[in-house]
Amino acid sequence: MTEFDALCANDAELAEIRAAIREFLAADREKFGWEPAIDSWLARWDGDFSARLADAGFVGLTIPTEYGGRGLSHLHRYVVTEELLAHGAPVAAHWFADRQFAPSLLSYGSDEQRSEFLPVIAAGRLHAAIGMSEHDAGSDLAAVKTRANQVDGGWQLSGTKVWTSGAHLAQRIVVLARTSPLDPEHRHAGFSQFFVALDSPNITIDPIVQMGGEHHFNEVTFDEVFVPDSDVLGNVGDGWRQVTSELGFERSGPERILSTVTLICSAIRAIRALPDDADDGTAAAVGDLVARMISLRQLSISVARALAGGEDAATRAALVKDLGTRFEQDSVELVADLLDRLDRRTPEAARLHELLDTARLHSPLFTLRGGTNEVLRGVVARGLGVR
Amino acid sequence: MNELEQLVADIGERSLEGRHGRPAFPDAFDEQLWSTLEETGLSRLTSTEDAGPTEAATLLTGLARSAAAVPIAETDLLALFLAAKADLTVPDSGPLAVVLADADLHDGTITGTAHDVLWANSAPVVVAARTAGGVYVGLVNAEPTATSHNLAGEPRGSFEFEFDAGTKLDVKVADEFTRRGAWARCVQVIGALDAARDLTVAHTSERVQFGRPLSKFQAVQHSLADMAGEIERARAATDLAIVAATDFGFDSAATDYAVTVAKVAAGRAVESVTRIAHQLHGAIGVTIEHRLWLFTMRARSWIDDFGTTTYYARRLGRIALAADDPWQIVVSCPEPH
Repeated sequence: MTEFDALCANDAELAEIRAAIREFLAADREKFGWEPAIDSWLARWDGDFSARLADAGFVGLTIPTEYGGRGLSHLHRYVVTEELLAHGAPVAAHWFADRQFAPSLLSYGSDEQRSEFLPVIAAGRLHAAIGMSEHDAGSDLAAVKTRANQVDGGWQLSGTKVWTSGAHLAQRIVVLARTSPLDPEHRHAGFSQFFVALDSPNITIDPIVQMGGEHHFNEVTFDEVFVPDSDVLGNVGDGWRQVTSELGFERSGPERILSTVTLICSAIRAIRALPDDADDGTAAAVGDLVARMISLRQLSISVARALAGGEDAATRAALVKDLGTRFEQDSVELVADLLDRLDRRTPEAARLHELLDTARLHSPLFTLRGGTNEVLRGVVARGLGVR
Repeated sequence: MNELEQLVADIGERSLEGRHGRPAFPDAFDEQLWSTLEETGLSRLTSTEDAGPTEAATLLTGLARSAAAVPIAETDLLALFLAAKADLTVPDSGPLAVVLADADLHDGTITGTAHDVLWANSAPVVVAARTAGGVYVGLVNAEPTATSHNLAGEPRGSFEFEFDAGTKLDVKVADEFTRRGAWARCVQVIGALDAARDLTVAHTSERVQFGRPLSKFQAVQHSLADMAGEIERARAATDLAIVAATDFGFDSAATDYAVTVAKVAAGRAVESVTRIAHQLHGAIGVTIEHRLWLFTMRARSWIDDFGTTTYYARRLGRIALAADDPWQIVVSCPEPH
């Protein structure tokens, strides 16, 4: 194995799983006819696809085999994830369960919780949502007001969560709530996490429709919802540490670079298919796009390798998300410039412009979701020692 | 920091302080530094010592952090590479300048003109003369007909050359030469940008306006974060090029791919890092008495050597446009390595 291949996340073992997932995707698409999508990890929910993907062994890669997972490394998961995104596969249904909930269970879950949920996650059949933001708690997550009061045998949860992707389709939602009153001196103390069944009584789910008419986000209201003790995730009072300690993987992952990759690659292929060779300006524009993607991916992989090796890479992870999501945004208009070369009357150009429209509608979200870039730049500044 | 990094940092720091941190403009060859590099065995690290691209990168980045005024990349990675290829005898010690120039071959004699060759007035020049038939290498003691300097004040000379044609080399040697040069400049640019960032963090932490250090203003913090991001992105791409050269050598498809990417990434980083560093320094940063320009203008000049950013962007674009699947170009190099 060479270090070069390792840096490309393409050494023998990773190249093998890369080839396997590509083969699966080609065959699955052929059979079931899904179209590569923009921003598919938010926008394309397909429970059947998630189940097929898991049956083929591509969900729950880092979950230990005793819980039905593959027991593989974070880099294996990295490779599968980036290939899924590069092919625009409909991964939203199992996305949050696989990305967030499984690692949380492995770090903080009880034995009973792990045995109950990890095999279902690995089977691609657990669909989870994340209940963090609220009307008055966006970038300032510590302003969360949803409360859980202890009652006989469990907790009574009240409050309203917003921007919860897929809550209208999911079975469970991970809720961050206050379990002790706010202490202004220690704002991050007194939070806990709950894994709430979405079919519990007293939960109302209302759609938050995006501009363009798509419905992925929801407002979820809990009105004295009973949550049994067995659905507390980790330690009571430890919620803040639990939700922030594993942000590195999420912030530095391929989904922070590749939300528009299907559009970019389709555009390059369309230009290639034109009868004339691309002029110098077009070639340079393509090269600039590709160089940004490659260098960001290199940075992202170097963070993934550091995190997998147990190193602290919090600052660089924040950098990846800031740079990567700004690239995603920039790429939309850069591709729009490239598409100017195409004859709009052709079916391929029409398809590309449809992707472009979706990208334009989704693009403002790229630098917002999972923590705004302004907050991330603050994290980076702290890493530079100026905060 | 490993032992080599520490050694290079110490040597570089001494050289920078030795010039009182205020070199004249234009700059001059730093003889003191060169003899230190020779004494420590660093001057010809890859050509005579048991060292490869990884060590060379440590040396080049480290010296660039100190704005070292010596042709270190030119001597070790370029001139001695050409000399070895052509079996050309060059002095056992001392700096060497180097250039790839178009030339004519008549009756066994190579003649041509080389323009704006860095350090040509301070060192013998190894000339790679590209003719219609192939590449010939000669050693020239240049007598510049014109002198100039790059934006950082590093001296350059133009001269006419004439030497007996020796071994004819394949034109592919010229490609490897250019690749090595581009590789070295990326590695050096990272060092220069690191230094520019450190100066900017220090300046904004010390400079007080409106009753507080500049670095306490959120707008300033965000610019610093921007700067750090651009550097880390360029470093990630350059690291891949270093690893490629270490694993496969400079004459490989993998190194060609990685250098092409790194040159674009570093090139774009130079634009934004230079802009932000100067913006955050205020007007003091454009004065000759401040050190900042030693680094920003070196980065600015170096990144255009051995092919501009746009040239490499075009090159990478053509590679992506030729691929069956552009995504595969993002993952790794297009050809087997």
